[in-house]
Amino acid sequence: MSIPVSWYLIVSAIIFTVGVTGVLIRRNPLIIFMSIELMLNAVNLSFIAFSHYLNSVDGQMFVFLVLTVAAAEVVVGLAIIVSIFRTRRDIDVDDMNVLRG
Amino acid sequence: MIDPQLLAFFVLAVASVASALGVIIFRNAVHSALSLILTLLFLALFYLQLGAMFIAVVQILIYAGAIMVLFLFVVTMLASEARDTELPDRIPWQRGIASTLGFILVGVLSYLLFTGASIDTGAKASGANSLSHVVATQGDTQAFGLALFHGFAFPFEVTSLLIVVAILGAMVLGRRG
Repeated sequence: MSIPVSWYLIVSAIIFTVGVTGVLIRRNPLIIFMSIELMLNAVNLSFIAFSHYLNSVDGQMFVFLVLTVAAAEVVVGLAIIVSIFRTRRDIDVDDMNVLRG
Repeated sequence: MIDPQLLAFFVLAVASVASALGVIIFRNAVHSALSLILTLLFLALFYLQLGAMFIAVVQILIYAGAIMVLFLFVVTMLASEARDTELPDRIPWQRGIASTLGFILVGVLSYLLFTGASIDTGAKASGANSLSHVVATQGDTQAFGLALFHGFAFPFEVTSLLIVVAILGAMVLGRRG
């Protein structure tokens, strides 16, 4: 018996929602970042499932590109968090309400 | 007798959702990061089940390896000086409202997935270019490489530009000014 594609999409939707909820309820910017990674990975799972069921390699290609974008995003985002921490001595997103340094 | 593939799907689904919940529930950021690594490994097993060997290996090497090491490095660097616990919420009912919105989102997504149009099987790629044909004759990684360097050569090159920009950005931001 083959697993229907919608089951994978449901798992993907649940993990995506967990990521969204994490962004809404946590105020540590590092954990908000991890929640964004969760959302990216949930979408990757849908891409791979569609790639399998549509019998095409395009989905895997998109996952590869999403992976590189995620890596770039993490590098720049963590650098910004570290530089904020150097000046503010405190990491709570509620305190970061100005764009000035 | 239950189908082993079905059993593997359910075990992986429960494990990945549970470890994803761990990311947002644990109070300690290091525990959250370890839980995220676990989620990424379970998703890599999903990819293996779906026949994407190369992506599964890249997921473990780059995501669970390189990116999460960077995360843990920053978490441990900041955790020694930061407060252990978060302050109480400034917006009352923030947690309750966020959880309710989350349940609504997952309900709507599931509803749309079950009532939406099913995949058009006529759109399925077939013939010499289809994935299963290339995988059967040459292997999964070769199918991926052929697509990457033929149809997707330009996005691949743009990716390298993106990485150079990200490295420069990290250097500029990390410089002590």
